[in-house]
Amino acid sequence: MKILVCISVVPDTTSKITLDSSNTRINSEGLTFIVGPYDDYALSRAIEIKEQTQAELVVLHIGTADSEALIRKCLALGADRAVRIDTPAFDSFQVAQEIIQYAQDQSFDLIMMGKESIDYNSGIVHALVAHGLSYNHFSPVMHLDYEGDKLVLEIETDQGKTKVSSALPAVLGCQEPIAEWKIPSMRGIMTARTKEIAVVAPSHASLEQHISAQVVETERLQKMIPAENAESLIDLLKSENLI
Amino acid sequence: MKNLAVFIDIKNGQLADSSKRLLDFAGDWAGTNGAEAIYVYGFDHISSDQLNSHSFIKQYIHIKIPGLVNHGQIMSPLLDDVKQKGISQILYVKSLLTDTIASFLAKSLSVPVVSNVLKLQKVSDGYQFTKSIFSGKALLTTQVNGDSFIAAFSKAFSVDVPQGTGSSSISQAEVSLGTDSQNKLIENYPLTGSIPLPDAAIVVGAGRGFKDPSNWGIVEDLAKELGAATACSKPVSDLNWRPHHEHVGQTGVKIAPKLYLACGISGAIQHLAGVNGSRKIVVINNDPEAPFFKHADYGIVGDVFDVLPRLLNKLKSH
Ligand SMILES: Cc1cc2nc3c(=O)[nH]c(=O)nc-3n(C[C@H](O)[C@H](O)[C@H](O)COP(=O)(O)OP(=O)(O)OC[C@H]3O[C@@H](n4cnc5c(N)ncnc54)[C@H](O)[C@@H]3O)c2cc1C
Ligand SMILES: Nc1ncnc2c1ncn2[C@@H]1O[C@H](COP(=O)(O)O)[C@@H](O)[C@H]1O
Repeated sequence: MKILVCISVVPDTTSKITLDSSNTRINSEGLTFIVGPYDDYALSRAIEIKEQTQAELVVLHIGTADSEALIRKCLALGADRAVRIDTPAFDSFQVAQEIIQYAQDQSFDLIMMGKESIDYNSGIVHALVAHGLSYNHFSPVMHLDYEGDKLVLEIETDQGKTKVSSALPAVLGCQEPIAEWKIPSMRGIMTARTKEIAVVAPSHASLEQHISAQVVETERLQKMIPAENAESLIDLLKSENLI
Repeated sequence: MKNLAVFIDIKNGQLADSSKRLLDFAGDWAGTNGAEAIYVYGFDHISSDQLNSHSFIKQYIHIKIPGLVNHGQIMSPLLDDVKQKGISQILYVKSLLTDTIASFLAKSLSVPVVSNVLKLQKVSDGYQFTKSIFSGKALLTTQVNGDSFIAAFSKAFSVDVPQGTGSSSISQAEVSLGTDSQNKLIENYPLTGSIPLPDAAIVVGAGRGFKDPSNWGIVEDLAKELGAATACSKPVSDLNWRPHHEHVGQTGVKIAPKLYLACGISGAIQHLAGVNGSRKIVVINNDPEAPFFKHADYGIVGDVFDVLPRLLNKLKSH
């Protein structure tokens, strides 16, 4: 059994987004970065499956050297080794191409990702990778049981929820409650120091060029209604055709 | 540019609102960009008169899905159809099923797929997409050169083109996806009764301020009276007080209703990231310092167990 987990590195969820001095790019200075929250769910479940099956667990990230500390954290959590494709990530298609390029002759049984990255929120990379490798694809997966040669999954659909059994190999986009986020142990942190982070040169150009960026500020009315007049809210909403 | 395809969502035989807007946009787009024809794809029956909104629409293709859609092979009949029709641009509004299909088409045709598009425009050397990123905290404009792309519109996109008017006859066709024996459906758990959250026009959200799952009756009653969907904050679903699919925010469902009523929710930045697309926001919280009030159109400082029943009574008395 061989598992690949793909992680994005994104600004902490509490970050306030600002633009850089050129006013065309997101300013990454002063932001704290984290492993994408959904990717963290994927990794957490992958670690549990590794413990169950003695699988080999590889973490893959497409990004610059700035991400190494977070990759190291994934190793501390229990991944065996990591690979970083040395290019900034520009778009879903580019990221997917790099993942496909890396994974195509490695015969991974299971490729786990987050259901979406929280910067671009595309929710597309896992499907592109699955089709590129001709693997089965399911997303968002909320529950995963590994039963020998097959997976039993609970997935969300546009109509509700579905339980399926899937053959391997498969690419999964994961979301809670598939697992609980894990915290690295002291021992994990120590052993991670000697684990390998291979750096690989990129092999694909991006298709989307970034032209400009803009921060969204939604102006709100901030009108207060005294609690004793709470009922007047209903008339107000009616007069604005909101209800 | 050759031909344009639009994937639409049909709910109970009716065209979804966002799909109507997309067809209006597509008609205008085809006209100004010299497309010969628009092919409309959907996953259900729909009568041609519901689509008679633009003269560019040539055919409606009903995609029949016999089983799971989880492998490229299953989708290859659709790929053949798209190729045969000479389609170079595909537009759709994001949904789980269409994302899967669009990714497959994008990968097979080697064209970029751009997500969460709010605006699309032609520029001299390609196309520019303005898309929502960081769960709506920012916008990014990107450019694709060449004539082929797939644009996955955000549900919150708006159009400023005239509504299409009835016209030519639209032929109907069918494409059946394949099946495979590797993967099996074990059971379906359809959402029942309630209004699906991602599409709801009105949403009532409730947070940890409700203190116990047994207190959700008033939230449900109010939602029912308003024809609204119910939502919750992350801790509420983490505590299993409410189902996971109700959790809104940066790590949950992103909503863009015309009205969001947030009750007993503090307004943490991760929560706001999932709801800031709402047109109007009402906040009810007993703490005047709750950060949510800064992001509200209308605020009431009060106890949810006092205010909500009174709102419900008032609604019922009309
Ligand atoms: C990585 C990460 C991702 C996250 N993603 C999300 C997300 O997607 N969505 C999300 O919601 N959260 C998310 N969170 C959690 C978020 O930070 C907050 O903890 C959460 O939104 C708080 O939920 P709450 O407002 O229901 O609870 P609390 O913060 O406990 O607030 C309860 C509020 O209810 C009010 N209240 C109490 N009693 C009453 C009463 N009787 N009447 C009226 N008001 C009352 C209180 O004044 C308070 O403001 C995330 C956190 C992290 C770390
Ligand atoms: N730069 C990246 N490096 C590795 N994996 C990524 C990267 N960006 C996205 N992914 C993976 O793809 C998933 C979906 O991302 P997206 O399609 O951008 O929403 C994420 O949850 C990650 O698991």
